[in-house]
Amino acid sequence: MEQSGIDSFAPFLQREMEVTDMNKLWMDKRNIAVLITPGLLFILGLILLPILVALYLSFTNYDGVDYQFQGFDNYTQLIFHDPIFWKSLRHAVFLGLAFVLLQHPLAMFMAIITPYTGKFERILRVVIFIPSIISTFVTSQMWVSILSVQFGLINRVLGQVGLASWRQDWLGDPSIAIISIIFVASWQGFGYAYLLYYAGIKGIPSDLYEAAIVDGANRWQFNTRIVLPLMSPVIRINVVLAIVAGFKQMETVFLMTGGGPANSTQFLATYLHSKAFREGLFGYGSAISVLFVIFCLLITLVMNRLLKKDVGEF
Amino acid sequence: MVTTTSKFIVKVVLYAGLALVALAQIFPLIWMFNFSLLKSGDFFGSYILKWPEPFQWKNYSDAFNFGHVPAYLLNSIIVTVVVIAVTVVVSLMLSYVIARIDWKWNKYLAGLVMICMIVPIYATLLPNFFIFTNTKLIDTYLALILPNIAFMIPISVFIFMGFMQTTPRAIEEAAVIDGLNLLGVVFRIIFPISKPVIASVTVLTFMSTWNEFIMAVTYIRSDSFKTLPFSLIQFTGQYASNYGAQFAVMTIIALPSVLLYMLFTEQITNSLTAGAVKG
Repeated sequence: MEQSGIDSFAPFLQREMEVTDMNKLWMDKRNIAVLITPGLLFILGLILLPILVALYLSFTNYDGVDYQFQGFDNYTQLIFHDPIFWKSLRHAVFLGLAFVLLQHPLAMFMAIITPYTGKFERILRVVIFIPSIISTFVTSQMWVSILSVQFGLINRVLGQVGLASWRQDWLGDPSIAIISIIFVASWQGFGYAYLLYYAGIKGIPSDLYEAAIVDGANRWQFNTRIVLPLMSPVIRINVVLAIVAGFKQMETVFLMTGGGPANSTQFLATYLHSKAFREGLFGYGSAISVLFVIFCLLITLVMNRLLKKDVGEF
Repeated sequence: MVTTTSKFIVKVVLYAGLALVALAQIFPLIWMFNFSLLKSGDFFGSYILKWPEPFQWKNYSDAFNFGHVPAYLLNSIIVTVVVIAVTVVVSLMLSYVIARIDWKWNKYLAGLVMICMIVPIYATLLPNFFIFTNTKLIDTYLALILPNIAFMIPISVFIFMGFMQTTPRAIEEAAVIDGLNLLGVVFRIIFPISKPVIASVTVLTFMSTWNEFIMAVTYIRSDSFKTLPFSLIQFTGQYASNYGAQFAVMTIIALPSVLLYMLFTEQITNSLTAGAVKG
């Protein structure tokens, strides 16, 4: 797109000719095949083929040893008789909403004020982002310790500030565990959300700020009327990413609670993992996998449609 | 006068808020480092931080020995290096065709890559386990390397395509006139000029592969192929009461990433945001 200005100096038709000539020179099918085959093999063999295998196994009662076809039994069981499956889906939506309504507004707010902190700007960026650079398995295990009943940091702090009665079994109590999980997942992803907004803000040309100030705007007006509208494409992408991340959540839950206690923190991926690898219900787990893929495709499609309308042209 | 005071108050509140969030992000890590130097017995006090007396460096040697850190670290390095090398080459090749060659299959290729980007990794966990078991790939390096590459290809292709859309075709056109064929253009011209994007893809692939553990715990059983996350898992089972060493393992795994990030803040920031904005 950017070169179109330069290109318009050259006669358009002539360029078209050259491009077709060039294509003819290159259109050696064998070379194209050499370029695309490895990539295609990987995504067909390790992404699409497994999905088809899951689809196939989802019509069976495969238990790791032997299997028979049983039609749509797994799907009817899942959809009509499995409250835990729906609970997992609800948790995924909750988490996505928590990202969009709590994590992202805070991250964006922080990103907007960071450039005004002068000499603290760099250190602030580094400090806020560091948790995101560390492996999820380290931070998850760390939070298990922080929330631990025996020596956890949270219960210690509560004890120190005189709120000993607020101490909880943060991961062991079914009614609190899901909130702990949502908090930790938001904590882990916060730096990344913040970084995306910060990069977006930094990408806004500084002469816009000067122009706005000359026109008599204050910082608040500049940020709400110029920065926020300019950021809307970034916000759109981030909201889609956040909702999808809620759906795809696995690692944090897997390490912190494994979906327990009493399935109170079950998500789609952990549920499929425990059905398949703990209970050995491979056919049933495959059906969950298939629905998992369908949900992810649907949610991405729907989110893209919805948000495209909202944002409009800028 | 009133406005300056209220402005001052707003400023103080904003700064306090910023400081609070920053503290919430960093304090757990400080706590983790502090406790990695304490005796396991010290874990059950009421203090929030404690000066280690003496420093328990033994936790770190325990971590290395009982956590098998050296062996698992080597496996992590092998897997990550292979995944990065293959992902970069394969994605660059594929993205060049989609970005530059006018032929009818392009929209299907692009659509396929897009769909693969949306498919959740963990939906393939079970079928891949089934496939790997039947092809004897289970419990080998390949069981980790192959799916890690496959899942990095879509995002990498999009990053490379974003880069190619901003580079002029002039150099390639000149190269074709000079007699280079398609493969020559990709490997002699595009590869060298793509260095900055290759760096971005490398950072993204490194972070994703280095930190991956769900596939690892699903596909790997034998000690000889286990990757770094297993070091930590050792301390949740067998040596669960050795809290100090457990915290030391966490610090050992976290530290290299933190140091790398502090050294290459700008480059890593660019890599990570490139992925999301283009995706």
